[in-house]
Amino acid sequence: MKDLKELSVEILDLLKQEGADDAMVTLSSGSMTEFNVDGGDLSLLRTLFNDSVAMMAIKDKKKGVISVNSFEADDVKNAVKNCIEAANSAIEDEALAISELTENEDFLTGITKFDREKLLYRIKEYMDDVARDYPKIIIEQLIVSYGMSERCVANTNGVCYTQQSGYYSLYSMFSAHEGENGTSFNGISFDFYDLDTPLIEINRQREDYERAEKELYAKAIDGKFVGKVLASPDMFAEFVGTALDNFISDSVIIDGTSPWREKLNTKVASEKLSVRCIPTDERMIGASLIHSDGYKNEDFDFIRDGVLKSFDLSLYASNRTGLERVKATSSCIEIDGGETPLDELIKSIDKGIFICRFSGGAPASNGDISGVAKNSFMIENGEITHALTETMISGNLEEMINNIVELSKENFCDGSSVLPYALIDGVTISGK
Amino acid sequence: MIEQNRLLRTLLTAADSPTEMRVQENTGRKVILLSGSLVGNSSNNSKGVSARVFKNGYWGFSAGSALDPKSVRAVLRAANKNANFLADSLPAKDASLAPVSAASYLFNKPIPNSTPKEFIDFAKEFDDYVEKACPKLTSRTIVVTADSMEKLLCTSFGTLSHSVMPRIYLYLIMSADASDGSTIELFDVITGGYGYFGDYFTKQDSMEKCKAAADSLYEELMQKAQGIFPDAGVADVILDSTLAGMLAHEAVGHTVEADLVLGGSVAGHNLGKQVASEMVNLVDFANDTPYGLAPLPVYVDDEGVKAKDAWLIKDGILTGFMNNRETAAHFDMEPYGNARAYSFGDEPLIRMRNTAILPGKDKLEDMIASIDNGYYLTRTGNGQADTTGEFMFGINMGYEIKNGKLARPLRDTTISGVAFDMLKTVTMLSDNITWESSGFCGKKQPMPVGLGGPAVKCKVNIGGR
Repeated sequence: MKDLKELSVEILDLLKQEGADDAMVTLSSGSMTEFNVDGGDLSLLRTLFNDSVAMMAIKDKKKGVISVNSFEADDVKNAVKNCIEAANSAIEDEALAISELTENEDFLTGITKFDREKLLYRIKEYMDDVARDYPKIIIEQLIVSYGMSERCVANTNGVCYTQQSGYYSLYSMFSAHEGENGTSFNGISFDFYDLDTPLIEINRQREDYERAEKELYAKAIDGKFVGKVLASPDMFAEFVGTALDNFISDSVIIDGTSPWREKLNTKVASEKLSVRCIPTDERMIGASLIHSDGYKNEDFDFIRDGVLKSFDLSLYASNRTGLERVKATSSCIEIDGGETPLDELIKSIDKGIFICRFSGGAPASNGDISGVAKNSFMIENGEITHALTETMISGNLEEMINNIVELSKENFCDGSSVLPYALIDGVTISGK
Repeated sequence: MIEQNRLLRTLLTAADSPTEMRVQENTGRKVILLSGSLVGNSSNNSKGVSARVFKNGYWGFSAGSALDPKSVRAVLRAANKNANFLADSLPAKDASLAPVSAASYLFNKPIPNSTPKEFIDFAKEFDDYVEKACPKLTSRTIVVTADSMEKLLCTSFGTLSHSVMPRIYLYLIMSADASDGSTIELFDVITGGYGYFGDYFTKQDSMEKCKAAADSLYEELMQKAQGIFPDAGVADVILDSTLAGMLAHEAVGHTVEADLVLGGSVAGHNLGKQVASEMVNLVDFANDTPYGLAPLPVYVDDEGVKAKDAWLIKDGILTGFMNNRETAAHFDMEPYGNARAYSFGDEPLIRMRNTAILPGKDKLEDMIASIDNGYYLTRTGNGQADTTGEFMFGINMGYEIKNGKLARPLRDTTISGVAFDMLKTVTMLSDNITWESSGFCGKKQPMPVGLGGPAVKCKVNIGGR
């Protein structure tokens, strides 16, 4: 394998020779081995070997970006030429910049060798476990893979970070069936480092398969009411993540359309909500430790006790707005739990729903959302009564994170996030 | 790329199992102007070779980015090894491939080049116009994006296909303040389709057409600024012809993909049954259609099967599934060329091509006039489907219908329903078809797809506030 650091120096030199004032390259080289199960049967073993180069050149305050999947000298030279051509064609922008040199580091995470035979054994065992313990479940698609990659992010200021990482991943799409009755599809995905444990015992998959079987014979709600929604940990993370995308990302802060544009260090959510980005947390599997703008990723708060502590801005957006750039480009999130056990949260609900998946359109700029509650259940008089079909919810993301009644004491880590259940009030729920 | 076919064909002569090899190059270019600032100016290129081998009911697949003869041979060896590993480690599977004849297709048009400067210059001139012509915008984004898939496919049963699928589009995204102080947004594909920059951006009237489309979108946005939220619940609606393709693709199309049928999709129990009003016909077109060339024509799929139209619903009856060779053998159906792979490193999956509800005989004006209290929904942003047939679309624009006439405009909402219930409520279909092709369908891999249909009168569940 070609040394990525050496290659990064060669490419940066070429970009300089072609006239770049500043330049950055991101190189990656890796392989992936993947087993596929389709319609309940093992069907495919796939291996993929790929190299990629992404380069960015700034010339006369103008930027060009190009990516190719080849380290061959001719391909790289051609890409350099095209990158400079793109920069020459661009529009001047004073905010363009590359990261400054601080302290370079090399990271090694996960495992760099894998055991194909044992992985196949664990997959067969997993299929058997699901078939035996959850007989109503059909696994529509199961993808279990091992990926190993090396990545290098370097620029003409001398910045050079590398990360080698390797880990296993599992994705299962499944539904429950009995006769002609079937449920909506459910999904499970997680990353893991070793094959010591039967795959079914990792994280809370048994709860997911059990719940899917209970989704059979779902019923629609009559009419419409405004009530409480108990969001599963993944569902709550999706609501919060969508709100952050909608209110604190580059484009809406640059163009000023975000309702949170002037709200840094002010209250934007319930004081019960604290959202932290944790790429360096040991519990996070396969997390990137390199910021896509060429920095070392650091843990930081997005929201602390309801107060907005950071926007999610790239270096470019930071220079455009004068606001601080985000400290990490990572989706590893921790949301603090509360004091109330899940059981008590359910008991506290007179009328509401337990929602595990939301199928909805992209939110409006102001955070309005509406969509279908999937894999969800009715809660009445403190008890989960039946599964739901054809039930829609609508609300506003900003209002929803301000209307958090309580977060569960239980806080679950799945290797990519740490999340509680959330009880949210004031959501419109409508049936047929 | 075509010159690689000799090597692939030579290697395949020695194949002792069903084998396909594919050399593929995907390219893309994107320019983004955010309120006049160039925030995106990028291009990408990804190329490589793959091989897939079928042994004892299992597939071995391998792919790599190097295209020299030694690397190509190594990829084929690796695919054979993978197939052997599964065949040796697992009991032989009762799976076979539907027999097909060798197909041949050779793309014979020149592939033109375009430069980032052409993209940026057009976007900038258009942006200057939008800034002046649309004074109440709080934000505007212009995106010019092009992508292309070029494939050379050879199979052990003799198919040779060299295909190219280029697309280019110009998007305009507008934001403004609504009457309640919140921000509203609309977006549209202003121009573009199957082809290259020169097909849509360099004609004498290209810019004028774009300006007219921007004016129209701005007018709608200003109407939306005064919009109301619909009442939540089941409503009589007219889905504009721009939405019908989403209905065909999301609500029905996914449920009749044979791999999802094997996974328990609702369509499995409904083959041969009435699933829609008798006026509903739904086809996944391969290339030529009664309404002209399909927006993204497919001639040979990535298993080497000659592409034909797949009739899915005829006169309201579910008549077929979309298959690959393996599911076609399982269901004793004919494969029509629905196995498609997105990049060189991807295996073919069952995918839609150009899925459409066929037009009816009604006029849109008559359809609107037939509703006393309901909605005319005109723009969608995205849609999602479920194997149960339950679907949802985001609705970005629409109008109330009161006493047969359009009334107040709508703000963003969502519609949902269960496909085979909702299709039975269809009572009118307009006599035109509108195609759309700018998006990607997501299913393990992304895939460019075409979708189309007429305006549809039906009942759906609509979200309110």
